[in-house]
Amino acid sequence: MTLDAKPAAAGSAARAGRPSWLVVADREVRDLWLGGRALILLFAYAITLSVTTYLTATNEALNFLEQRESVSLTLQVAVAIGVLLTLLAAADAFSGERERGTLESLLLAPVSHRSFALGKGIAALSLWFAAFVISVPYIWYLGRGVGVVRTSLLNGLLVGSLLACTMVGLGLLISTFASSNRVSLSVSVFTLLALFAPTQMPSSAQRGWFGDLLLRADPFTAGLRYLGRVIINARSFAQEGHWLIGPAIVAGIALVLAIAVAGRIRLGGRE
Amino acid sequence: MSMPGEVALEASGLRKSYGRLVAVESLDLRVAAGTVLGFLGPNGAGKTTAIRMLTTILPADSGSFTVAGVPHTKPIAIRRRVGVLPESAGYPLGQSGEEWLRYHAELFGQSRADARDTARRLLADVGLADRGPALIGGYSRGMRQRLGIARALVNDPDVVFLDEPTLGLDPMGQAQMLDVIGRIARDRGATVFLSTHVLADVEQVCDRVVILNRGKVVAEGTVADVVRQAAAPRHGQVKVPPEQLDHALAALARTEVHAEANGGGRLGELELSMPAGLELEAAATQAIKSLLEAGVPVLGFTLEGGRLSDAFLAVTEEV
Repeated sequence: MTLDAKPAAAGSAARAGRPSWLVVADREVRDLWLGGRALILLFAYAITLSVTTYLTATNEALNFLEQRESVSLTLQVAVAIGVLLTLLAAADAFSGERERGTLESLLLAPVSHRSFALGKGIAALSLWFAAFVISVPYIWYLGRGVGVVRTSLLNGLLVGSLLACTMVGLGLLISTFASSNRVSLSVSVFTLLALFAPTQMPSSAQRGWFGDLLLRADPFTAGLRYLGRVIINARSFAQEGHWLIGPAIVAGIALVLAIAVAGRIRLGGRE
Repeated sequence: MSMPGEVALEASGLRKSYGRLVAVESLDLRVAAGTVLGFLGPNGAGKTTAIRMLTTILPADSGSFTVAGVPHTKPIAIRRRVGVLPESAGYPLGQSGEEWLRYHAELFGQSRADARDTARRLLADVGLADRGPALIGGYSRGMRQRLGIARALVNDPDVVFLDEPTLGLDPMGQAQMLDVIGRIARDRGATVFLSTHVLADVEQVCDRVVILNRGKVVAEGTVADVVRQAAAPRHGQVKVPPEQLDHALAALARTEVHAEANGGGRLGELELSMPAGLELEAAATQAIKSLLEAGVPVLGFTLEGGRLSDAFLAVTEEV
């Protein structure tokens, strides 16, 4: 047994490796999916969607909704919970490594910290896309016969992806500074609830320029309102697309900020 | 790979504080390539902070350093040249040892095929070839430490930093770890920066020693140099007939050697402390000569070399 320097792999003739963000994304996706965490989250997600679909489609006493409203409600639940999953995964990104004591080994690699953020963000986004795929049969079942399946799925994917990007950016941002996973998850969920708050505002509070601005700037309120209008009111993207300007801007800012701030990640969180 | 004679690591005026707490006050170091350097100090001396600065994990408040000739202003280039086993390193328990090494090899720019080869070779090197496919969660502490060393070697580093590598290991694990450390320097020609509290480890594997206390270097050199610099007391034992003990003590009192009776003097054993300023052999000669001149038979005499533990205590207690 020797410990000879054997640079067959590290020598000048070594084959070029993959981009570091792709290496990180590959590893994170494997950990998330093969480690079982994603499967457990998606199992819970599927159960929630099943219950929602059952109540809106078959329960006579509770089914006071029209079919289009049922599709819209179920899709909104699917999007909201789906992006919550991405937030949970992203919030674990750095604080989880910090808590498990594996962050130092990662930071010792000759890789920019932004590559870690990008790779981990991609892995977290994979949860949203998987959640969306799971929601397809539910939407198909509820929407068949009223011709909203295609519209619902396309717009659900669009809105959900914007919100998922926002959640990934938010989760990474919080995780970069949080000293523990518990802090990171608590702050993330609290922020998510704060983002949902405008959707529950009384209609009187939604009037006026401030109320309108708040509705449009809050990505959840604007995104879910857009979905309701295109599915229930059969409006087109051209007519209601302006509701997505706010969510798109917020998603962009959240992602750019998360990637930028990741360059300042420290071993002990906020120092 | 650095060549012998080259400077592998050089630091000047390195300082780091956390608020009011100064962890490293002013670190000046110069380590030749191929050296196994023991980096010692009591808890809170600043060893881990110093290592984290030198490996670019922590930014220094002031000062400068080079590692393998790369200046501190190029942290990513430094990380390409160093391997580190961090103190209390964590491991992804749900990954296999081979998977984890492959991941880190890829982070160092290796292709998937090369990373696989590197992982398997290093697992064999640290004696974990048969455990590579097993989950790290099933590894013992000693196996995890050896896996950590394998990870530190994925990039064939010029300088290897090992922070408390034998911490928490049983004697067998410690022996295996020291064997691995010795081979890193011998077989790979790498410079090893070994931070530890186990002074016996240092005496066994290190060429040179640096003792840090309260963020400052307080002693530096070979083990013998450090013992001499530290003016640490050296010891010896002499055995005389028990009935002549008082006579022997009186004779030794006239020399520079301090003598005390062991076990109440019933066995005629005296513990000698050699003065730091005097050569060990000269002090011993002086002690024996004074006993013989006083007509005290010397039944036995043993002399201990300077002990690193004494030097360590001497230089870390006096501040």
